[in-house]
Amino acid sequence: MAKTPTGDITTHVQELRAGAAGEGEPPVVVLVHGLLTDSLASYYFTLGPALSAAGMDTVMYDLRGHGRTDRPRTGYRLEHFVEDLALLLDALGEHRPVHLVGNSFGGTVAAGFAAWHPDRTATLTMIESEPPVATWATHIADGLAHARRDLVHDQAIEWIKERYGAHTARLSRTAARILETTTLAEDVPAGRLIDDDLSALRCPLLAVFGADSGLSAQVPELEAKVAQCRTVVLPDQGHSVLVEQPGRTRDLVLDWVREHHARRSGAWAGAAG
Amino acid sequence: MTSEAATPTALSIDEDTVLAQIAATLRELPDAGLEDAEISRETLFHDDLELESIDLVTLAGLLREQYGERVNLALFIADLELDEIIALTVGRLADYVTASLRATEEN
Repeated sequence: MAKTPTGDITTHVQELRAGAAGEGEPPVVVLVHGLLTDSLASYYFTLGPALSAAGMDTVMYDLRGHGRTDRPRTGYRLEHFVEDLALLLDALGEHRPVHLVGNSFGGTVAAGFAAWHPDRTATLTMIESEPPVATWATHIADGLAHARRDLVHDQAIEWIKERYGAHTARLSRTAARILETTTLAEDVPAGRLIDDDLSALRCPLLAVFGADSGLSAQVPELEAKVAQCRTVVLPDQGHSVLVEQPGRTRDLVLDWVREHHARRSGAWAGAAG
Repeated sequence: MTSEAATPTALSIDEDTVLAQIAATLRELPDAGLEDAEISRETLFHDDLELESIDLVTLAGLLREQYGERVNLALFIADLELDEIIALTVGRLADYVTASLRATEEN
């Protein structure tokens, strides 16, 4: 297990180097997971191996407070998460502009990185995510308040265990521990935002949604405001796009990165298949 | 590891040995609380051991240290459907590890 110092914390990172070399320098893809119950494992067993096999350097890491990365008591504003990623790329000696892929809150972190580190960003993929604008802050504040109210009671965890099984109950306990022992619930909605016009997002954007999640309502706005924007809405699909449709998500990301990396570097063809 | 003793031969690879090795590795898994767990072929990772997926990432690293690159838990799980992952038993993982080691022997 690789632990890398990133400022005041130590970050758990898993790198999968390009398995099959294509022509020229391979693209680097950074995968950012979601909030509370999530970790880099969501990618490690889905997108990660496929991207590496397709000739892409793949970086997965646990966000602060999550997985096997340190959990300080405070410091969970969006800018902290974004700065962690910049420090992680520094620590890895990564100077290529990166293709960012973020799931749910991970997409918001990735969008923050794209906005505040445009020179280090090649493309941005957001899966079931909102960019860090004022309406997002309202949504996430409501969601976190709801989670904190529901998860702190032992009876609630027992109910989850009976209804959804021991594994979901364990994830819920982990989420409850994060909420109880850190200022995350207050910090996340209070962090730095970008302007509603999304002018800060200058790189190509791929936004993937499940039709049934509610977040797909952003499609017209994203297409109107982001110059190079592609949106994909998966029918009969809720919020858990990455977990429930890993194959479809993998194909979308592979095609997207291949296309844009070829455009940036000319000759690169990647590994066949 | 390059010593002769550390490289399993085709004869030394049997499911029971691998199962015992995986059970020992699971009991030592950091933060998973499995020190005293009963582990058999039928034990479910998901509902019996209550492992979080991040624990499986750690397990993948430990198996790679133990058996080398030929045992790739990430690839093994990435090929499974979600319901197969939920139903994954220690025995099925032991079979995969055994098959991977034997395949290497035969090559």
